[in-house]
Amino acid sequence: MHAGGTAATTGLATDPVIRVRGLVKRYGDIRAVDGIDFDVAPGEVFGLLGPNGAGKTTTVEILEGLRPPDGGEVQVLGVDVASGADSLKPRIGISLQTAALYPKLTVVEVIDLFRSFYTTSRPTEELIDLLELGERRNARTKELSGGQRQRLAVALALVNDPELVFLDEPTTGLDPAARRALWDLIKGLKTKGRSVLLTTHYMEEAEILCDRLAIMDQGRILEMGTVDALISKRFNERAVRFDAIDGIDDDVFAGLPAVSSVKHDDGSVLLYTSDVAATVGAVLAQTESRGIEPQNLAIRRATLEDVFLDLTGRALRD
Amino acid sequence: MQALLALTRANIRSYTRDRAAVFWTLAFPLVFIVLFGLIFQGSGTTRLTIGWVDTDGSPAAQQLQHGFEALDGVTLVKTTRADATSQMQVGKVDSIIVVPVGYGASLASASAGTSPPVQLEIYTDPSRPQLQGTIYQAVGTVLGVVNLGGRPPLVVPSPQIVQTENLNAISYFVPSMLGLSIMQVGIFAAIPLVADREKLILKRLAATPLRRWQLVGSNVLMRVLIAFTQAIIIVAVGTLAFGVEVTGSLLLVAGFVTLGAMAFLALGYLIASFAKTEDSANGMTSMIQFPMMFLSGAFFQIDQMPPFLQVVARIIPLTYLADALRQVMVGGAAFAPLWVCAAVLLGWLVVCFGISARKFQWQ
Repeated sequence: MHAGGTAATTGLATDPVIRVRGLVKRYGDIRAVDGIDFDVAPGEVFGLLGPNGAGKTTTVEILEGLRPPDGGEVQVLGVDVASGADSLKPRIGISLQTAALYPKLTVVEVIDLFRSFYTTSRPTEELIDLLELGERRNARTKELSGGQRQRLAVALALVNDPELVFLDEPTTGLDPAARRALWDLIKGLKTKGRSVLLTTHYMEEAEILCDRLAIMDQGRILEMGTVDALISKRFNERAVRFDAIDGIDDDVFAGLPAVSSVKHDDGSVLLYTSDVAATVGAVLAQTESRGIEPQNLAIRRATLEDVFLDLTGRALRD
Repeated sequence: MQALLALTRANIRSYTRDRAAVFWTLAFPLVFIVLFGLIFQGSGTTRLTIGWVDTDGSPAAQQLQHGFEALDGVTLVKTTRADATSQMQVGKVDSIIVVPVGYGASLASASAGTSPPVQLEIYTDPSRPQLQGTIYQAVGTVLGVVNLGGRPPLVVPSPQIVQTENLNAISYFVPSMLGLSIMQVGIFAAIPLVADREKLILKRLAATPLRRWQLVGSNVLMRVLIAFTQAIIIVAVGTLAFGVEVTGSLLLVAGFVTLGAMAFLALGYLIASFAKTEDSANGMTSMIQFPMMFLSGAFFQIDQMPPFLQVVARIIPLTYLADALRQVMVGGAAFAPLWVCAAVLLGWLVVCFGISARKFQWQ
């Protein structure tokens, strides 16, 4: 048994399951990971959020012991990854960004094969039920749909009932229903006391699943904390959104009452404001004086998307 | 051990579900053997190749030669006394006839009744009684014509014995084919290995407690098992369908099958160390396979090749594997002593494996 109790037995319950300090990874001249620090607490679902190329996968693969770092300290489950990767492998589960499966073996055969690598493992049937692969149990993996492959990859990450699970973009390519099913599964891991590190570039996924997350871009962590903290730290305010209007400069908007900043996203203008009524009134006054009306005017709370936009000046989904 | 066996089973499943791989390693050699076997069998019963040693050179000797040449299904190969025996031992000729010095003169004096009949040396192999019968039948026919004018006979056959190792063409061919099959099963290992790396399977395995030695061990185990399957099929077909007699020690055969499979597997790993993609592994495998096949002496006599190709033949491992298998399975002339064959194969194994261990990219 290495269920929930193990994390507690290896040290104090507050000891982090992942501890990263000053991690650096270079590919040639490019600093893929440029000096990052973070901790993941036991039983926590921690997210690395960022666009493709932010350094999320590189970070995860260093933690999994698949890549050597160029600098910094990495401890996983209290073990130094650089020297103790072999002792960690039985205790962690991983799912690569691209599902790596034997194309000519069936679902059951692949699960059984991976079970043979561990001294303790969950029953094949349990995993098949958990990931809802029953109908495809005897299908060869090359015949599976993208979503089914992804689910099988997650099943393989859970074969050894790991204390810590790394999921790299687990829901990429899944349809909305399959994505929700996987979210439920990850929440289930959390209730069993397992820790999860996941990477994603879906805002919604990060907001729903992650207890805490780090926003990464160009190898650096820009901001870290709970979803609420990340949003409220930057935006104790709302966003007023409307289609961009020719002829009115950002300077004009920035000068309107209560507006703290002006951003552009995909053809629309975003005004962050502490007083919605005053700002909307001023916008309408501005447009009216020019004989036009703002199109698609909307008011909303700030989201992670706004946080990322504010941090980088770019939208995350690009 | 459990992981190693499970991985071996998974590899074998993947292999048997890959029709192309099964064809090239199991069906192709079989098709080849049956085809060659039928060709050799068809000609073997009717054709007779006689090494002709004429130490006299008189018109009478030439007349005797024409007598043999006129026979249906008989081919004369002119040779010397010095070379004849070894040629017969390697199966280039089935028999040797030596026309003695002074044959013409002796024939004349014998027909004048002033000397005993001339002795014509006929070398045959008593372990091939059927062939021996055919030869003496031919000799009888020709001498019958020569002796027609004289009684007592002017020329009598003087039976001589050469022990060949019963090496007819198909017997020569079967060990070669086995060697070739083992080569293929070894170097073809590069392709699925590179494919597994490309599909990130090796990377995924690296994140499990599975050790690299288990991964390599399962690969070796699987390939050696396939090599043994090949050996059993090929030897069974050769023995049962074409009457090839395996005279040597089966333990030695098994030993060389294992050593050969591992040497070529190491060569396969070497390919996988330099090939970035499955396609390039495919190309490199063919690039090595075909020259190896034709330059190895597995199918052609090395001493008949141009000198610079002989140098190549003396380096490549298939030469030694085919030669060793031939020696331990059916006997016959050796290209190199067995221990040399074993040493060369072991050398290839160590060198290729050593380079691969340093160069192979796991991810």
